Amino acid sequence: MDTLKLIAAIALAALVHFVGMSLWPGFARSVDVFLVVVVLHGLGGNSMSALVVGLVAGLLQDTLTSGPFGLFGFADTIVGYITARLAQRLVIQRPTGVLAVVGFASALQQAVAVVLTLVLLPSPELPSPLWVAVRAGACGILGMAIYVAMSNWRRSSEARRRGRMNRLRMG
Amino acid sequence: MNERRTGWVLIVVLVGQLVFLAIQGGRAGETRAEKLGLRLLGPLARAVAAIPRSVADARQDMKLRNSLMDENRHLKREVESLRLRLLRLSDVQGEMLRLGDAVRYGTPPAGQIRAVDVVYVDYASWLRSLVVYTGNVPARKNQPVLSADGLVGRVVTFSGAYAKVQLVTDRAAGVGGMILRNRRQGVVRGGGGRGSSALELDYVPLQADVREGDQVLTAGIDGVYPRGIPVGTIVKVEGGGQLFHKIQLAPAVDFGALDQVYLLDYDALSPAMKENGPRGHS
Repeated sequence: MDTLKLIAAIALAALVHFVGMSLWPGFARSVDVFLVVVVLHGLGGNSMSALVVGLVAGLLQDTLTSGPFGLFGFADTIVGYITARLAQRLVIQRPTGVLAVVGFASALQQAVAVVLTLVLLPSPELPSPLWVAVRAGACGILGMAIYVAMSNWRRSSEARRRGRMNRLRMG
Repeated sequence: MNERRTGWVLIVVLVGQLVFLAIQGGRAGETRAEKLGLRLLGPLARAVAAIPRSVADARQDMKLRNSLMDENRHLKREVESLRLRLLRLSDVQGEMLRLGDAVRYGTPPAGQIRAVDVVYVDYASWLRSLVVYTGNVPARKNQPVLSADGLVGRVVTFSGAYAKVQLVTDRAAGVGGMILRNRRQGVVRGGGGRGSSALELDYVPLQADVREGDQVLTAGIDGVYPRGIPVGTIVKVEGGGQLFHKIQLAPAVDFGALDQVYLLDYDALSPAMKENGPRGHS
């Protein structure tokens, strides 16, 4: 069931990415939806699962870019694992905490990708620091928004479930 | 699974990926995983691309209906003038072929073009790319991709009905270029920027007469692109190094307006040359 949920989340990320690109050509430069999925999953604390999700999401992202295939696969694997390990040590429940973690993860992912590109390509093109910051901030905000929406949805569905149980007991 | 074992798995996965990246040598290559990814994401990208296109088509149809009569009249006049021009050009072509025969000059094959739909384009980020839907006839690696305005790039990976294209503005792309006015050749590379700094023309010596506004075409010397496709226009010329000009080009193609491109069936090198290199040809 969890695997299906993850596949659906990655497929949804791809859909949002394509819709975003069709609406605004600078979408991929500003937001990384795949990374947000990886980090939000990593916050669950299962490092093995986060590693695999990071690898899969990163490789899918590599399919849509012109760089060496495996660049984002490598970066997202590291990001997924580190996020899960961080979630094991810290309790991250506040939306601002999620914003900070996703923003940091985006900066880390781009740093890893840039270092790998510098190592692998003779005269690579690099992203501008401004856009790295914009992307980190946008990813953080998107991650926080999804986290808040998911928490609210979980809370309301829990309340509905409790209400139903109470009605059954009363009846 | 305990954390220690996960740590080992992480190390194995990362080392495996590093080895894989090193084997590729930094080039955009063809791997099974990439082909699988393209096959999975391609249909989704196509479905998403089809929605705004159909909305835009419907809106355009409404607009067109109003001006259809005017356009029809205008097109009829244009067809007449083009027919006259075609007659004149067929005379010139016949003459050129006769002269070519006289000096035994073999003109390079022109190649067939095939229209394909763009399903995904990212021309703004630093790892830019384009994905096209090729239908039943798959693309071929290194196949040139054009638009009505000029050169778009070349196919780097294909899987099923989808192909990934390396844009000519990509930092890793290189095209044999030629200044139309004086036939001076050089290498066109992605400049890493957008708009006027999207392309650079390298290896044009300082002695060469280069002016802003000069048009640059493909030179047909790189074994990928045929000669004569517009690549861009020179927008800035500086005395860069000690030997060569530093030239910036504005691309001929507006990558933001691409919804359909053309695949060119063109093979610059014979199969024997491809297998054995230049020696195999002799």
